[in-house]
Formats: sequence, structure tokens, C-alpha cells
Amino acid sequence: MDALRYTVKRIFLMIPILIGISILTFFISNTIPGDPARLAAGPYADAKVIEELQEKMGLNDPVYVQYANYMKNLLQGDLGNSNYSHQPVMEDIKQYFPATLELTFFSMFITILIGIPLGVISASKKDKAADQFARVMALVGVAMPAFWLGIIFLLFFYLKLGVLPGSGRLDTGLTPPETITGMYTIDAILTGNWTVFKSAVIHLILPGITQAAVTIGMITRMTRSSMLEVLRSDYIRTAFAKGGSEKRVLYGHALRNGMMPIMTLLGMTFGHSLGGSVLVESVFSWPGLGKYAVNAITYLDFPAVMAVTILIAVLFILVNLIIDILYQVVDPRLNYD
Amino acid sequence: MLLELNDVSLSLKRDGKYVKILDEISLQVNKGETVGIVGESGCGKSMTALSVMRLLPEKAKLEGVINLDHEDVTSYSKRKMEKIRGNKMAMIFQDPLTSLNPLHTVGRQIEETLILHTDLNKEQRKQRVIELLNEVGLPRAEEIASEYPHQLSGGMRQRIMIAVAMACNPSLLICDEPTTALDVTVQAQILDLMNHLKEVNEMGIIMITHDLGVVAEVCDRVVVMYAGKIVEQANVKELFLNPKHPYTKGLLESIPKLGVKKAKLGSIPGMVPSPDKMPQGCRFFDRCSSAMEICKGKTPPMSSVGEDHTAACWLYEEKGGEMNGSSGSEGLEATLHN
Repeated sequence: MDALRYTVKRIFLMIPILIGISILTFFISNTIPGDPARLAAGPYADAKVIEELQEKMGLNDPVYVQYANYMKNLLQGDLGNSNYSHQPVMEDIKQYFPATLELTFFSMFITILIGIPLGVISASKKDKAADQFARVMALVGVAMPAFWLGIIFLLFFYLKLGVLPGSGRLDTGLTPPETITGMYTIDAILTGNWTVFKSAVIHLILPGITQAAVTIGMITRMTRSSMLEVLRSDYIRTAFAKGGSEKRVLYGHALRNGMMPIMTLLGMTFGHSLGGSVLVESVFSWPGLGKYAVNAITYLDFPAVMAVTILIAVLFILVNLIIDILYQVVDPRLNYD
Repeated sequence: MLLELNDVSLSLKRDGKYVKILDEISLQVNKGETVGIVGESGCGKSMTALSVMRLLPEKAKLEGVINLDHEDVTSYSKRKMEKIRGNKMAMIFQDPLTSLNPLHTVGRQIEETLILHTDLNKEQRKQRVIELLNEVGLPRAEEIASEYPHQLSGGMRQRIMIAVAMACNPSLLICDEPTTALDVTVQAQILDLMNHLKEVNEMGIIMITHDLGVVAEVCDRVVVMYAGKIVEQANVKELFLNPKHPYTKGLLESIPKLGVKKAKLGSIPGMVPSPDKMPQGCRFFDRCSSAMEICKGKTPPMSSVGEDHTAACWLYEEKGGEMNGSSGSEGLEATLHN
């Protein structure tokens, strides 16, 4: 009950934040020089056509009127029409966003699967070979630019060995599964289409690992330092005094106690991956939100830029909310107030 | 004989070199007996306990023999040690709040010992947890089992720690300052409980404390430690009535006595030397009011000073005095005549 009230309260608190974000992005995109009408009309349009288009797009209204109109439409689920793709932005997002979400989920999955155990091992074998190795790996992961790593992966696994595909979400020739979530792997499972599922997973591997390399490094380092702190605690000694094995103490007692900062970082990186996967998406021709956003910016496609910005902001806040709720699940000492 | 330590020495690595923390500790604990280990902070009491449990830092060097039920546990493998920890020997720590995992219910923490060492099924374990909570004197056991440490009082938490330790009926219980963090009224309750459990279960207990009141309350025999060495051993009555080592005397003089008006409580000047700057000879030399020439250069051996009473002090070592020239024996005689 408490948890529910807390959640509802937090969701209401999102409203002013989102209004703030929408105002900021709207006014910033409006001060950027460049005429969306001219861009939409194309280079050979004459002045009259452009003027008409400006009128039609509402570009001659005062900014606050434009904003009010935009928000009114937004609340009705209308994000406007893209000046570039000439279809409703909502449709574009429905098409591109699941691809990014799928890639992000996959890379977070790899991050948790590798980063956390690596950090735990690193902490428990402090200053030994395993620790040194993990620390160097983490440093390398953090230090290597994603686009460079992506290109190296492409050269090696796709061009040289030919074991993994280098672009797109599915093998050519396969039809995407029926859209339920828009994430091919999940839709394939839901429709029981295993050929498509396999192909979708294989296509996720290289971009997923490229994206995860940085976050694995960060999570490993955070897990290590958090665990080192926890391992000095009295209750860890108690756990050993009970006869617990090292593995049991590390994963059964220490990790959960060290989880808070790790969770915080996971939430942040999740948000970053959603918004910042542009480079990875470009390298692997992944038809996701990042590529869409870059196109939108290049063509001054304001409705699209606005939509992507607000969407990522909402997701960022949601992820943080989920993390905050998870804190309480992990630590019974925290209250919902 | 339940537990026997023979010449146990412990060195820890500090700043790249080994420093001796414990120096040839020998002591015995019988079934149903409580042995107190007393001394100031930093004298090696806790390290002695942790050596028995073998809960030492990885780079520790442990020498000597630790026999539990006539088996030397220093030769046990990691796995074998895990099997007796929490099972045959258990330990209770000083601060029950930090010693319990804040994120697990107390029921689960008691149950963990049972999971590790018994074949009881889930239902039986649950029952045993309730049983243990009742045994350590906690009412509404079922409710408490599902609570977290932060929801309980200090005394209740220490009772939980005791329940965790008692879960598998250990034959040896090591208590490291179990009442130091508790209120005085609660202290007495916890000590009563431990006395009761000892009698019921015929356990041997090692009681580490710097509180001589606790020693008087629960111990049968006392070991006095100073700077990593044992300086005196006696049964509790003998030690309180007839302390031999100047250090023990000093400790006893620093307790206020009821009905005796004294302007100033006795205290021992100076501090315990740090392990890497241990003086030659008797380690108490610097602070000892009866120090003699011989104390400076030669470590006093443990010698009998009464029935079941030993002390390591040149004051009582006639042979040593004679062997070491006139100055030693003069000093000795002078002290004896005083």
C-alpha cells in the first residue's frame, strides 16, 4: 500500500518536470537559426510557396502560441508531422524506438551479466591477478570509443571471420514478426517464430557488445568499490563465522548490501544508452531512435526533435523512478516517505 | 579437554612485513567451563578468538596447535573449517547491530546456520528458529522472526546473535565483548542467558572482555593478556583475591569498589606498546611499578604461583632471578619483603 502511494506520488511529480523539459526544448529549438518551411519545401521552391508553408505550419504565430498548440496536440497523442519523412512523428517513433529499446535491453543484460560478477570477483581477489585483470578490462572498456570498437568488431567478426552479421536487425529475406512490442526478439517469442528469433539475437550481438563495453567497465568499477566497502562490515564476518562459503557470503550477503550505488549507475547508463546510442546505431546501420534523431537534427525537423527529446526525458525519469522503488525493495530500512 | 591452544603465535602483514600480534598463547577450555580473556584494547584478545575460528586476514601467519576435541584445526582445509564454523564452534560479536545483516530478516539469519549445517527441511527449520527464539528469551517469536535487525532493540539483537550461534548446539562458544555495546540492565540479562545456555548445553565458552565485572559474573577461569602474551592465568576467585602479575593488580585496582572511599581510582600509566615496537624482555616493563633490571632484557617465563595459578613475572621466578645475577635477586627480595 505504502509502495503504491509512493509510486503514484512520484508519477504526479513527473508532470512539472516534463512541462519544464518541453518548454526548454521547444524554445531552444525555436531559437536555432534555419527555416523549417524552407527545408520542407525543398531548394527549388519559390518564396510564395514557402510563405504559404510557414503560415500552414504556424511558424508566424508568437512562440508561446506555437508552444500551447504543440502541447494541446501532444496531450491528444499527436506529435505533429515530420517535415522530413512526411508522416506523423508518432508513427516514426513507433517504428524506430523499439529497435533502440531492444538494443538497450540487450546491452544492459550483457552489462549486468558480466559487469557485476567481474566486479565481485575483482573485490574478493583484491590486488591479485584476477583483480588486476578485471581492472584493466574495465579501464579498456571505458576508455575505448564505442564507434572505434564497433568498427573493429565489424572488421573482425563480420568481414574477416564472417561469423556474425554486421548490419540491420534481421537477415535479408526474413520478414519481421508481427508487431506486438516492436522488439523483434520478443515478438518472435510471442509468435513462436524461432527462425526470426535466432536471426534477431545474432544481429543484436555485435551492436549489443559494443554498446555494453563502456557500461561493463563502469559497472565493474562501481561494483568493485562498493563491494570492498561492504566486505569490511561486521555482518560479513558473522556470515563467515556461521560457516558460509566465500561464494555464499559474497553473493548472498555482500552483493545485496552493495547494490545501491550499482543500481543507481545502472539506471543512469540505461537512460544514456537510450539517448546516446547514435554512434553504435550508425556503425551497425541499426534503424533506431538515435539515427532518427540525428536525421531530424540535420533537417531541422523540429517536431521529430521535440518528440525524441521528450520521449527520452520521460524514459529517463521512469527508469529513475523504478530504481527508486527498487531501493526500497532491496533495503527494508528505507521508508516510502 | 574441549579446546587447547599450544604456543599459538600469529603474525599479520603490515606495510609489507610480518608483525607478531600473538606470542605463544597457550590456554585450555573444558566442557561446561567459561574462560575469560581480559586485557586492554589491542592486547590480542579478539585476535586469539579469531585465530581459533580461523577468521583471519588472508595474509596471516598462524603457528602452533589449536586442538578442538583433540583435532588440530590449524591443519583443516578451508572447506572443513567451514563445516565446523557455526556448527561445532560459534562466535558472538560485540556490536549486534552491525554484526547482523541489515537486509535479511532475523529469522532468515538464524535459519542460515541451519541451512549450512543440518538436513532439516524448510518446515523443520522454521520450527527450530521459533524454538531458538524462545530459548534466548524472545517473546512473540513468530513475529520477531520476520522482522529486520533495525526494528529490534540492542538487547534483542544480541539475543538474536546468540540464537544464530546456538542454532547447531555448538560445543564451543566464543563471545567477543558480547555486552560492551549494551545497556547495563540488558548486560545482566544477556550474561544470565549465557550462563543458563552453558549449563543446559554443556558448552565451553571463551568470554573476551575488558570488563572485570563480566568476568566475575560468568567466568570460571581467567586468562589475562598483555601485548599479545598471556601474563597470568587462574581461577576466577583466586585471581580476584590474590592477583600476582603487576598488570593484573593494576587492572583490579582500576575498578571502583562499593563502600570504599578513595580519592582517586587506580590506573596504569602509559599505553599498550604497538606490535611493531614491542620492547625486549617483559612487555609490561615500561608501565610496571615493580620493574627490575632483569625485566628489561629477559622475557619472564610462565611459572606456577599457586594452585592452578600461573603468572609470567620475574617477581615470582626465583630460578630466573638467581640465574641472572645479583641485581635480579636483590630486586626480587626487596619486592618480596615489601
